[in-house]
Amino acid sequence: MEALFSLFSGFRWQDGLDILLNAYILFRLYVLFRGTNVIRAILTICVLWAVSQAAVSLGLIITNWAMQGIITVAALIVIIVFRNEIASVLQTKNLKSFLWGIPRYQFNTPLNIIVESVYELARKKIGALIVLPLKQGLDSVVQDGIPIRGKLSQELLVSIFWPDNPLHDGAAILQGERIISAGAILPLSKSKDLPSFFGTRHRAAFGLAELTDALVIVVSEERGEITLFKENQIHGVHNRLALGKLLQEHAGDESAPNGIRNQAIELFAAGLISLLCFTGIWLSFSKGMETLATHEVPVEFIKPDQRMEIISSSASNIKLQISGARTLINAVKPEQIKIKLNLLQAVVGTNKLPVTRENILLPPGIRLKKIEPSLLEITLDSLVEKELSVQPHWVGTLPKGLIMTQASVTPQTVLVTGGGLSLKEISTIFTEQLSLNDLTESGTIVAVPVLKPTSIRLKTTETIRVHYLISKKAGTL
Amino acid sequence: MTIILTKKSNKYRIPALPVFFMVLGVLFTTSVCPQQANGKMVMTQAVMCESIETFRPLNPAVVFSISQGEVYCFSNFDPVVQKTIIFHKWYKRDQLIFTMQLTLMPPKWSSFSRIQLRDADKGPWRVEIRTADDTLLQTLRFSIVD
Repeated sequence: MEALFSLFSGFRWQDGLDILLNAYILFRLYVLFRGTNVIRAILTICVLWAVSQAAVSLGLIITNWAMQGIITVAALIVIIVFRNEIASVLQTKNLKSFLWGIPRYQFNTPLNIIVESVYELARKKIGALIVLPLKQGLDSVVQDGIPIRGKLSQELLVSIFWPDNPLHDGAAILQGERIISAGAILPLSKSKDLPSFFGTRHRAAFGLAELTDALVIVVSEERGEITLFKENQIHGVHNRLALGKLLQEHAGDESAPNGIRNQAIELFAAGLISLLCFTGIWLSFSKGMETLATHEVPVEFIKPDQRMEIISSSASNIKLQISGARTLINAVKPEQIKIKLNLLQAVVGTNKLPVTRENILLPPGIRLKKIEPSLLEITLDSLVEKELSVQPHWVGTLPKGLIMTQASVTPQTVLVTGGGLSLKEISTIFTEQLSLNDLTESGTIVAVPVLKPTSIRLKTTETIRVHYLISKKAGTL
Repeated sequence: MTIILTKKSNKYRIPALPVFFMVLGVLFTTSVCPQQANGKMVMTQAVMCESIETFRPLNPAVVFSISQGEVYCFSNFDPVVQKTIIFHKWYKRDQLIFTMQLTLMPPKWSSFSRIQLRDADKGPWRVEIRTADDTLLQTLRFSIVD
């Protein structure tokens, strides 16, 4: 069980959506094409693809090459040969049936109407050819036919085969409770075992039964006999009960509800297989092709005390070696990886903080392999206020013979805020450089203080003025 | 940088009347001078100057040219009740460059410390005059320029 959980470790909601979406597409393709020859051809291609993959894993180069060629040709053949069936599925005008509808076969067919119609036709010796398709499509074997799509009724069905009706020579195709088309031409059987009294109508019915899973009812024009053709079998019908039973068996065993249940089981199985298929594909993508990558990620420090200030850190970025499926690794964006260090336990001064897996946020499906460096040295300081003396910073040279005897500053001190550690070593704040070169007499200069280190902030806004006294140097003229 | 320390003690014969006025003076300044309140000493003068002549500071100033060659910190104490130690602490910006220990002898004493200037010494300086128990007596701020 643990192994199963580990397989799905890092499973994201996007992965679930991915699997469900693709499984549903596969399921829909099955639903739309089931019963047709296309689905068999596609299944054959899938088997060929599996053989090709097995050949690759076994190192069978020629077999793999041959399989790939066959698959390509087979795909082309499927498209060309089954173009009608594919077109009939894809050209459906009903979006519901295309996206989520489940096509029903003969489960809803009002069999009693068919029985009564057939017996009326037989009694009146009106020749008839009625086709009840099951799962397999008829498009590739049945030609022409006039679309009717009318609701099945005894009167309509009898009238189709009424003599002198232009459609009476062809076959009527029934689907569910509707007559889909009439006047359809069925393929003639080439079998030589058919009874000699069977005419063209019987031969056409047998021809279709040979090729598909459809049930074909024939009413003989000469003898008024009813014959059923299904899967190379010919059933002579002598009473309504027998006809009804045969039709019911065709529609779905002995009763319609059973048929619906079987269809539900079949569709559930198809859905489950689709889901398992894409789960397997996801596993092969996510667990297979494991790859490594290195990301340089900036460290985010969480300061519980906002008065704390980070003075220095041994590293601002940390290299993370991560692993995972190549697709996931390639999809990783830098902003998805975060390193968060909580400074709750840190104190003012130098702190050595280990960087562990708990500090690192990774996208689902990505595993952490290595952290470098795994230890950070961080110096913290707390914000304090301090009063600093102000001192003028004189530069240059006074004119010859002059001397600056006094210099005072107003205000004498200023209030600053900054890191306690930084301010601990500072007792004076100096002004910008004040030139002596042009000073010849006493006066006042407005000066700007220079804040060093730059992290400190001046709290007072008062202008700093430097008052100075200049006099002649003793012993000069 | 060379530090040279010199000290000079002036001895007087103390007549009775001047002693009376001196005592009055001491009492008068008690409220403004803590050193005197402790009965130890009073710093009467502290200046930065270009040189010392006849135990007096010559050209007291706050800006000194490097071409001057040296700069002095002069301090004068009067009275000095007992043998006392003080310190001249020289700072360039906020960095302590050196500390000079000076001994003051009764009844009064002048003392100074000195640095010889190099090109690298240009910038703002200060000298803190402190007692043995690290009490700050005075801060002298000055600049060394071209």
